[in-house]
Order: sequence, then structure tokens, then C-alpha cells
Amino acid sequence: MSQLAPLMPFHRVNILTGTRTARLVEDPAEYAKQITKAQRPLLVLGPRLTKITLGGRLLIEYALDIAKAKNIPTCATATVKSKMVELGVNPDSVYDIVEIINALKDPNWKGVRKEGNHDLVMFFGVRTDLGEQGLSVLKHFAPHLKTMTLCKYFYPHADFSLPNYRKDEQWKAFLEGLIEHLKKE
Amino acid sequence: MPELKEINKKLEEIYHKIKAEIPWEPIGHTPMPEIADLRNWDMKLLQTYKPWYAPFCDLCCFCTYGKCDLTEDRRGGCGIDIATQQGRWMLLFCLMGASAHTSHAAHILEVLIEKHGPDKKINLGTSVDVEAPNIRTVLGLKPETLGDLKIAIEYIYKEIAHLLDSTAFGQEGNPLDFESKALHAGMLDHVGMEVADIAQIVGLNYPTSVANTPLVDLGWNSVDKTKPIICFIGHNPATSSVVIDYLQENNLYDQVEVCGICCTALETTRYSDKAKVIGPYSRQLFYVRSGIADVIMTDEQCIRTDMPIEATKAGSALIATLDKVMYGLEDATEMNTDEIIKKMVEEKKHFAILEPKKAAEVAVKVAMAIAPQRRKEWLTEQEAQELSKKCSLCGMCETACPNLFDIGQGVSEVAKGNYEVIRELFNYCIGCGKCEEECPRDIPILKIMQVGASKETYKVRAGRGPIMDTEIRTVGAPITLGTIPGVVALVGCSAYPDIRDLAEIVDEFARRKYIVVVSGCTAMAVGMWKDADGKTIYEKYPPEFDAGGVVNVGSCVANSHISGAAIKIANIFAALPLRANYEVMADYVLNRVGACGVAWGVYSQKASAIATGFNRLGVPVVFGPHSSKYRRLYLSRKEEDEWKVMDARKKQIVETGEPSPEHLAYVCETKEKAMVMIPKLCIRKNDTPQGRAIKLNHYISLYKKYMGGGLPEDLPLYVRRDADIPLVYKKEVKAYLTQIGWKPKEPVGLPTLIGTYPTKVPVDSVIH
Repeated sequence: MSQLAPLMPFHRVNILTGTRTARLVEDPAEYAKQITKAQRPLLVLGPRLTKITLGGRLLIEYALDIAKAKNIPTCATATVKSKMVELGVNPDSVYDIVEIINALKDPNWKGVRKEGNHDLVMFFGVRTDLGEQGLSVLKHFAPHLKTMTLCKYFYPHADFSLPNYRKDEQWKAFLEGLIEHLKKE
Repeated sequence: MPELKEINKKLEEIYHKIKAEIPWEPIGHTPMPEIADLRNWDMKLLQTYKPWYAPFCDLCCFCTYGKCDLTEDRRGGCGIDIATQQGRWMLLFCLMGASAHTSHAAHILEVLIEKHGPDKKINLGTSVDVEAPNIRTVLGLKPETLGDLKIAIEYIYKEIAHLLDSTAFGQEGNPLDFESKALHAGMLDHVGMEVADIAQIVGLNYPTSVANTPLVDLGWNSVDKTKPIICFIGHNPATSSVVIDYLQENNLYDQVEVCGICCTALETTRYSDKAKVIGPYSRQLFYVRSGIADVIMTDEQCIRTDMPIEATKAGSALIATLDKVMYGLEDATEMNTDEIIKKMVEEKKHFAILEPKKAAEVAVKVAMAIAPQRRKEWLTEQEAQELSKKCSLCGMCETACPNLFDIGQGVSEVAKGNYEVIRELFNYCIGCGKCEEECPRDIPILKIMQVGASKETYKVRAGRGPIMDTEIRTVGAPITLGTIPGVVALVGCSAYPDIRDLAEIVDEFARRKYIVVVSGCTAMAVGMWKDADGKTIYEKYPPEFDAGGVVNVGSCVANSHISGAAIKIANIFAALPLRANYEVMADYVLNRVGACGVAWGVYSQKASAIATGFNRLGVPVVFGPHSSKYRRLYLSRKEEDEWKVMDARKKQIVETGEPSPEHLAYVCETKEKAMVMIPKLCIRKNDTPQGRAIKLNHYISLYKKYMGGGLPEDLPLYVRRDADIPLVYKKEVKAYLTQIGWKPKEPVGLPTLIGTYPTKVPVDSVIH
């Protein structure tokens, strides 16, 4: 699943200091396949989604499209709920990033929809240092689930990560491709 | 019964050290506690607030069995697993912090005993009778003289040696036991800090028993560049105070500027309000590279380790004054003074001088000699623009930034003559200089950033030392009943993630009539902001330890006065004996004192020790987002965990279902989220209905302000009865509670954890 060869993360504070690193994925179809395969995915939304725009749209809008395409439950961290409510969407759950990770560690947790713990957790919009530390928690202490990132940087501690995109257009194309594939799958 | 004899002999020795024959209070169960003595208290805390480990490194490289890969469930060659390794790291961090503060305490104590003699009385003024709440509580000793403080130092040194021993190959093998040891180290840290600050107050005549200490100048422009400038960097005033003495004795104080960066700056303003504060650690490299300082004097802690290189580049002279940081410099302590001065002026040599009087004389004479020959001007905007033109926006600087921002964008705008972006980015900069190191075109980014720095002069209130007993008597009842909604202590370093966050947090809570306490670099950072009327936080809010007050206790070591204030509430207000009675004090603070620490911008190991010490005492701490790199938090899971306490009056264990405080060590990703978390962490089971309603009013109001309306998801957990509901939200809250089928529950008369875990402390000892 994951690969051995270390890749350099964009923010070097997140440099990998171990042997197991994320599998780098550039094909949105492959991401869509992993998401579709999951029985109980979860999309964790970080505050950067409410600050950054891509192609004239706030990132949170891409995130909500992804969630909508496959009815994926969402977890709003930090103050993301505020923007979601403004956009007319209620999050399925509100936890801070360290709280949701703490819950995900527990294999017996019932998950945000009380249907059982999640088997695939996607992170989108969390600061890279905190995000990477959170992924490290799950890598070591949550072998029962897989992790995936949607930000434009490489996250070594995830199971699946995007590359460091040099241009935002590449990232935008990936996210739009993912949404399209999820709608089709 | 040799074992019992042995125990008795040990206790006899302890009793001798703490002068047990002086009956100022009955002696509690844990005089001079060793590693295992408070372990049951720790385990009780850790049962609810479980360590949340975020490994920063998957490997262990401590011995030649490694590197060992500890990924997932792998174990190292010694048998250690990844969780235990994180606990080991945390213990090491806490030991580094406790060692730094205690070693500082030992040094300044030695200097001041040399100056005043060991029998110099400890007198903290007419309003402070409980002079050493941490020492009294932990050791059981009431120190009366400077010499008595050495007993505390010897105790801490012994404990630190034992704790450090447990981190060696083939020792401790359980994460919770490492955490218990880290909590022990954190507690020792507060004792060490208290020794340091009491010694300084007594020996250097710092302000005490007064709230309204002087407002002193703060900021880059507070220093007169036309004069010779001596800049202190570090945390120990042993030499800076002697430099001021030398200047005064020689009538030179009007001719030489004395300023500082980091805690020595704060210490020096407590000694002389003419001294200036440049700013916190994050401003160190900028200021040094500006070359404004003629002489840089380093002491200990939080000093750039490449200072000789930086001082040489800037053309400043450097004197290292303490043996802990000598930089490989020649030790000139025994050298002839004139010879040292000659070499520093003519050959531009740097020296270590460990004798304060000699260092002072050299510093002053060198500064006066070299200042007239040096160019001391800020970089102009035109110069910055010229230097920025080489930027190709390659982005390498951004990849190296620990605070994750794009300085290249600011530099490229400077090249176009736009300085607004770099002014904004300057607030995020933690001053590490890594961006410059990465720049393939060798652009002097930090130098360019001088144009982004504010040239305004601000104000910081000089540190006032301990909270007065008289203040504790006034606020004890409203704090424990909840009518003062909380004590918010913003402590430690101020680097991450945006230096302006701190003043905004202070402003929000002081305005809401919380008691706000600040210390260390944070105390400086909160002064670097002015409101619309041009007032700093210190000019806007009163300096009393009372509702709506903003109190600067002093430098890092003055953090002990914050933990001390919490203990004094239990001791002075509630009249519970504190002598060697740590569990009772901590239990009181955890269940009844609505205090919350905020270590927002911290980076050092000392900060983790301070925070962990607060945690053992029952004070939760909120960290900024980057602090996940410390590797460990203490989190509960509010809906899954048990929230049982003993009702001490009824002698019954009660399941309250109320997660208060919810966490002990917590990371928030944004300032806005912290604004919502802080009031929640001030909620305590002891709150009266009126107090709880006030606390919930702030929790709901801040939630609405920062979370876009609605009510907090966990609000029902904190409403016990109708009377807890704040009047202003009554209708909305009641409708919500009815909708979810909320049921009222009885508040606990006298909540305590004593009696819920194995301890020698009887339940009755918490009743006052």
C-alpha cells in the first residue's frame, strides 16, 4: 500500500523521519476508486478551506462537492462550521482536529454517523505541520483505517497523498477530476 | 523491620531538611516527594486525560542498537515501543526545562548569597506572607532566608538526576510512567522557577507587593541609536544588574543605552525602569543583524547558538557571561581588563568573561569606544528594494519556513516598491533565518525585513512578581464560585503563528472581566499592539489581579507565581493547609479554580516543562497549532470517559457526566478556536449556579462570535439545572435542551478526586 522510497514534503518541517511513507497518487481516478471502495469514509475539513481560493472558488466548495458526490460525512474542525452554515450546509459532526483524531484512534468508536468507525479518512485544509502530526498519530495508532490527503502538498505520514503541485492549475484539475470520477463511480 | 527503619530514617532526614520542628502548619503526606510519591495522583489524571501521542520521528537513535524503527507496533532493540518513546521524549523535554530554570536559580542564588550572605531574610513586602507557595507545598519548607532556598535546589537536583536516569537504555518501559515522571519534572520546574524569582526579588530589590509597576519602553525604536548600546540576550540578570550598577556608580547611565531581548530584558526592567525591551526571542536575529547593538552580552537560555558568527557579521562585540554558553570563546575571566578591552576594540575579538563586575566594566568601555565608529541605521526602503531585486520567486524560502508562510512573496513586492506585504508578513516571522539559508541567490531576507518592522515605541509593564495575598483574599471567592469567569494565563514564548494573536486574546478576555496574567516573551508581545486610541494592553487595563486586570508577573521564572496564585487560593482563601500537601492543593485547583493556561506561540522545552507542571497542578493548557510537534497532549473523550468525583460532604462517588476541565493539554489550530476553547476550560464542577451561568454566557457568546451562530454541541453537558442557563440565552438554550431530552442533575456539593483513587490523603482533608 505505502511505499518505501522517501519523497520530500513541500514544507520541510514535515520531513519524513521513518521508513514508511505515503503512496503518491496523481490520478484522480485512483483516488476516486479508493474512496468508492471504502465502506465508511470521512472527510475532515480544516480552516484553510475557508481562506484559500482556487479558480475563483473557495476550497471549501470543492470539499463540499466531494462530500456530496458520494454522500461522504463531514467533520468540521476549528471554525469551519461557520463558513459551512453560511453556505447552507450543516456538517455531520463538529470536532477539533486533535479530537477527531483521538476518536478515530479507537477502533470501537461509532463514527460520526454512529455506523461504526471510519475505514478511510480524508484530510483537507489543515495546516501542514499539524496535519502531518495528526497523520502520524493515525499511522502509528490506528492500523484499522487508511488516511488520504487532498491538499496540494505531499504528506509523508498519510497512506495516500497528492504530490507537491507546482501550479495551482494542476491541483484544481485533480480536484475537479476527482469530483467527476466520484459522480460517475 | 529493617525496611520500616530505613523509611523512618529517610523521613527523619526530610523532616530535618524542611525544619519540621517549626509548626507553621501540619505536615502533609508528601514532604519532598520522590518519583513514586505522587504517582497515584498522576495515574488518576492520566486515566481521564490520556496521552495523545503524535510521533515526530518514527525511529529511535539513542543507542548503538539503532536506529530502531518503531513504526506501528514494532519495538526497538531494547524493547521500547513508539508510545513509550514519546513519553521518554516528553520527560526529556521537561527535564531540559526544569534543569534550565533550576540551574538559573542555583546560579543567581549563589551570586546573591555571595553578595548578601545566606542569612538575608526573604521579605516580599507587606502584602505577601505566603512567599513561596510552590516550595511550601512541594517540599513542606517555609524558606526564611536566601540560604534556605538552597535546600529546594538540592532537592530538585536529586530528583532530576533520578528522572534523567530513567531515560537511559534499559530503564523505564511504560508510557504512563514516563508521563508521571514528566509531570514530576514539571512540578519541580515550578519549584525551581520560584526559587529563582524569590532570590531575584530579594537580592536585586525587584518590585514586590505592588501591582502598579512602571510602564517601560518596548520596541526597536525605544533605544536611542546615537548612544553606545549594550544589549542583553537570555534569561539571567546576574550580569545585567551589575552593568547597571557600574553605569550608575560611574555616572554613565545617561550616556549608555541598556536594552535586552527575551527574559533578561524583562528582568533588567525590574531592576531599572530606564532599561529598554527590544522584544521577544523571535526578534533576536533581526535585531542582532541590524548591527544596532554595540555590545551583545549573552547569559543563558534562548540565545542563538551561532551568536559569535552573527555578532561578527554585524560588527558588534560579544561577551558571553555564563559558563553554560561559552561558544568556544577564550575565557578572559582572569585576563587583565585593559587587555581584554584592547583586543575587543582593536582586534574585534569576542570573549567569555564569567565574573560579572569585570564583564560589566569591559562591556561599558568597549561600547563607548566602538559606538562612534559604527554605522547604526535601519535599512532604508530604497536599500531594501535594491537587495530584493534578485528574487526570482523560486519558492525555496517557503519550503524552509517552520511557520509555513511565503516570505518570497513579500520580498518580491519590496522589489516593486510595495512594503505593505512584508509589513504584514513580519508578524508571522519567528526569526529563525532558515529562509535566508535556503535562498539560492543569497538574498539577505532578514535584513530586508527590517523595513517590515514597526518602528513605534510601545509599553510593557515591568514584572511585578507574586500575586499579593490581599488580592487572593479578594478574588478567592468569586473565582471558586465562578462569578469571576476565570483566570487566563498567557505564558511562555510568543513566536507562532501570528504574534498579534496574543494581544487579541488578552483583549477579548480582559474585556470580559476574566483575570488575565502574562509572563515571559508573551508579556512583551502583548504590549506590541495599540488600540484605536493608541493605548497598549497595559495602558488599557488595570494591573490588579482582579476581574478585568492584566497582570505581568515577570520573566519565564515568574510563571511560578501563577501556579503559586492557584495554590494560594486553596491555602489563603479556602484555608486548606498546603505544607507538603500537593495532592490536596492540586485537587482543589483542578476541581475549583477556573484557570486556563495559554501557551500559544511556544517553541522551547522550557515551555513544555512549565505547561506540564501546570497540568499536574490541575491547570489545563491550550497550545498553538505548531505545538503538536511537542508530540504529546493530554486529551479526554468527553462522551466516552467517566467523570466521577467524590462529593466530600456526602462521602459519595458521583458520576457527574460533566467534562470539566475537558482536556489538560490541547492544541487549537486557530486563534478563533482558542477563543472558544479557553472559556470552556475555565468551567469547574464547583461553580455555583450564578458562576456557571456567567461562564456559560461567555462560552456561548464566544461560540456564536467565532463559530457562526448556534449553540455549542456540548452545551448540555455543562448545564446542570435551569439556574445554570445564562439569562440572555435562556429561551434559545431551553428550547434546545427540551428538543434533545436533557435532564437536570444535582451539582456536586464539594467535588474532589480524593477518595476515588488509592491515596494516603483522607477525604476530610479537602473540607474547609
